[in-house]
Amino acid sequence: MAQANEEDTIDDLVRRAQGGDVGAFEGLYRAHAAAIFALCRRMVRDETEARELVQDVFVRAWERLTSFRGQSVFGTWLHRLAVNVVLERVRVVRRDGARHVTDDDDEALFGAHSDAGDMDIRMDLEAALATLPQGSRTVFVLHDMEGYSHDEIAHMTGIAPGTARAQLWRARRALMKRMAV
Amino acid sequence: MTHLTEEQRHGLADGSLESPAAAAHLRECAACSADVDRIRRLMTRVSHSNPAPVEADDLWPSIRARIEGQKVVPLPARGEGAPARPGLHKWVWGIGGVLAAGLIALWVARPRAGTADSTNVAQVGDSGVSLVAVMDSTHAYEQEAQALLNRLELQRATMRPELARIVERDLRAIDVAIAELQGAIRTDPNNPALRRLLASSYRQKVDLLKRVSNAG
Repeated sequence: MAQANEEDTIDDLVRRAQGGDVGAFEGLYRAHAAAIFALCRRMVRDETEARELVQDVFVRAWERLTSFRGQSVFGTWLHRLAVNVVLERVRVVRRDGARHVTDDDDEALFGAHSDAGDMDIRMDLEAALATLPQGSRTVFVLHDMEGYSHDEIAHMTGIAPGTARAQLWRARRALMKRMAV
Repeated sequence: MTHLTEEQRHGLADGSLESPAAAAHLRECAACSADVDRIRRLMTRVSHSNPAPVEADDLWPSIRARIEGQKVVPLPARGEGAPARPGLHKWVWGIGGVLAAGLIALWVARPRAGTADSTNVAQVGDSGVSLVAVMDSTHAYEQEAQALLNRLELQRATMRPELARIVERDLRAIDVAIAELQGAIRTDPNNPALRRLLASSYRQKVDLLKRVSNAG
């Protein structure tokens, strides 16, 4: 099976991968793995789970590759697919009794150990993100880090746009507190 | 003095709010101005954050194993009759399974490197089927499959999501097998058995697409 060459463009790799070339798909993986992992890592607290999600994303991308028609940039398509994979996992966790995306309470966001002044070290962004409840973290990552609009977030998560905005503001406040901004 | 709302502060900070009145208030209110600046500092730190590095080699083997694992399609249980529409996926799996079994059998029986090519020549003579005829039928099936795929695109919008997912998955399995056969043919172009299997693969793809088209 052919391997990806450095000269191959993403379009070339997509075309070959759509024809079943796993080597070409590996090239797509290497080009986008870092960004997808960053997204998954920010959306979930656990690094092991983030790695599992990265695998799920690329397997799903392989399965759905024939549905990519080139009307958008492949990275954009892959990113959107990754968000859906992560949100599906979040919804599964929710069904199992974890917090709903709108169930973040003030204690979780602004509780006793959330103030950077209580600690000797200010949290960096990644560490502070990991302390946020799932709902706030989801909205913050999707809006402020990944650039989705409130309407898009509402559509993907099933919450109202107004609720998404409120979640975002609360997330920002919590991060500012943890990072001593 | 009435201070800005939370919505106004965040909107001014991220640029989503264009309000001359709110902007004017910022110029006059130190408390609101300081708060909006804090939010902007947070957003600046966010925009400058770099994604955490990932060990690409660490994850690819697992991904590849799962992708490769999808190529194995289980055969249907003996005794299942022609399915009604809700059972469409049963024979879809069956077609892929027969194809996979044929591919595996052919791979096991393939000529090893260093062996004489006489067996290939003998097979051409024994089967009585010329390579040209096999190649012609492959091309014809390829064209028919593409025409049916174009029709399938129109059906996708009204297809049940579960069925669409299964059809897509099994088409993928057949396409992967076809791609492997094409690769094998490139290294062994005079092997008629490979070309017959490729033609058979396309025929199965066409059969699958026809049944989906008729069911839809």
